[in-house]
Amino acid sequence: MEKLHRTTNETEQYFLQDVKMTDPRSEENEQNKDIFERPEELSSPADLSTIKQDLVEARAKAQEYLEGWQRGQADFVNLKRRLEQDKADAVKYANSGLIIKVIPVLDDFERAVGAVPASMAGEAWVEGINGIARKLFAVLEAMGVGRIQAQGENFDPSMHEAVGSVPGEEGKVVMELATGYRLNERVLRPAKVLVGNGEDDKSPMQDDGS
Amino acid sequence: MSKAVGIDLGTTFSEISVMQGGEPVVIPSAEGGNITPSVVAVSKTGERLVGQVARRQAIVNPENTIYLTKRFMGRKWGDKLYSPD
Repeated sequence: MEKLHRTTNETEQYFLQDVKMTDPRSEENEQNKDIFERPEELSSPADLSTIKQDLVEARAKAQEYLEGWQRGQADFVNLKRRLEQDKADAVKYANSGLIIKVIPVLDDFERAVGAVPASMAGEAWVEGINGIARKLFAVLEAMGVGRIQAQGENFDPSMHEAVGSVPGEEGKVVMELATGYRLNERVLRPAKVLVGNGEDDKSPMQDDGS
Repeated sequence: MSKAVGIDLGTTFSEISVMQGGEPVVIPSAEGGNITPSVVAVSKTGERLVGQVARRQAIVNPENTIYLTKRFMGRKWGDKLYSPD
């Protein structure tokens, strides 16, 4: 049956091992002790050089510790600054996850509002739905959400995603397939666009009077 | 004092992190994401584009957009390059 309890010595060794300390009472360390811990040697004159050497070593160590400590302090200051910046960003863009999930609903509303059958146009209920769509967008706008301007603009990959290249003015957005949305300065979803490739648009349906 | 970073250079996405207070912390991109597409491009105006921005314009600038670079590492220019036939 194995020993269930460690003796005092074993426990000490176990912990000392962890903190990489040497047992001050162990015999092997007699030689490595600081000169000031061996007072009987201090009185002999031949030890001046040993003391000088110890002094030089001690000073070098002190310098090393000072630099290490200063580096640690600088690191800490940077870390604190970084954490505050991260916290501010997290607060500012806290809603971006939710809004990204709501964007498909905005897409659906856009499509619904644009596809009202002619027979129903102007009816009170239809106008009510239009009102709801506008209200939803107004609520999001008040929280910093904005639509990304795409139609007719210069193609800008930081805000637009090119899904196709079509005849039209080169480098300009010919058609917007999906609205892009931004929250404050951050792009939540780039607008999906068709970009002009410089060829003449020979189709009978020109893009609306631009 | 310079810092050491760890980079995961992936075939399609890359990620980078730095030691902060003894822990590795992922550095988010300017767009806010933790991972960045491994795409680079040179725009028609000569501007160098990296990541999401490069990917979004890939269709309109295919000759100057580079992706899946890791698949080509170790090959020589002019090698019969991988093409899914």
